[in-house]
Amino acid sequence: MILIFGGAYQGKLDYALARFGLTEKDVFRCDDENADMPENKKIIYEIDKWILALVKTEIEPTDAVKQFIAQNKDAVVICNDISSGVVPIEPLCRQWRETVGRILARLSGESDEVVRLFCGIPTRLK
Amino acid sequence: MKSGLVTALRYGDAMRIFISGGCKNGKSYYAQQLAKAQATDSLYYVATMQSADSEDDERIERHRQERDGWGFATVEQPCDIENILHECDSGGSFLLDSLTALLSNEMFPADGDMNEHAAEKITRGLNRVLDEVENIVIVSDYIYSDAMIYDALTEQYRRSLANLDREAAKRCDVVLEVAYTSLIVHKGKEVFGGVDEKIL
Repeated sequence: MILIFGGAYQGKLDYALARFGLTEKDVFRCDDENADMPENKKIIYEIDKWILALVKTEIEPTDAVKQFIAQNKDAVVICNDISSGVVPIEPLCRQWRETVGRILARLSGESDEVVRLFCGIPTRLK
Repeated sequence: MKSGLVTALRYGDAMRIFISGGCKNGKSYYAQQLAKAQATDSLYYVATMQSADSEDDERIERHRQERDGWGFATVEQPCDIENILHECDSGGSFLLDSLTALLSNEMFPADGDMNEHAAEKITRGLNRVLDEVENIVIVSDYIYSDAMIYDALTEQYRRSLANLDREAAKRCDVVLEVAYTSLIVHKGKEVFGGVDEKIL
């Protein structure tokens, strides 16, 4: 697994598509209304949205994440970094933020490579 | 700290520097140091803020006081950034602070409708500036890593600023991120040598 994260609109998907020579048909776009397991494509885009869907349905994510990791050993997983703002007032956003943090730490450990994007510029962290 | 930055800048020739990061972590101070350090002739501060109320007036005044004694000539240019080329010597050193304010001014004009293409407009203007100006420090704000679900308008502003940042970063020789007074060099390590570490 390769994990790519960074703030919103920093060029994460553009970078992944260019680096691996992939196109839109290789991308599964997560949706914050769909808590089903993401489809097994080469790029799983915006996993934070899938996590938000899990949080909304109050499904405990541990098992889902375990299954996700097992199914996506060869995938490029892209996540928005939502960790650096003020603690949100809304309980849903607070829980989302913490859950994304815990899951990203887990995925980072499972990944062969971790890349952070800043203004379209990649930095390899692992 | 000052000497560290000045030494770093002497390694290279004229530089176009993009600097961003979270709020209140020392960006503007670094940017002033960098602009000052690479100035050989005229030194311009391109002021972009349009005052909306007394709180803004106070902020502008505080920034002005902070710049006192640095030798900046202040150029007010809240819109149409390419017009600084008419007013200034393009061989001078510029500090443009900030893209965030430019985008607000262009996207939400006080007396008109929202301009959805403000980022493209500023990118064109900025590219004209960058064609002529070799010594410039451009400041922006990193507003992309919080856990808020925004309304469509705010989201469009964030997307526009990110696009503007990325276009500016492409054209700049050096891209810096300030992380609570530490500098991360994302681009241009070969010309911006020697300060790729905590220097405060």
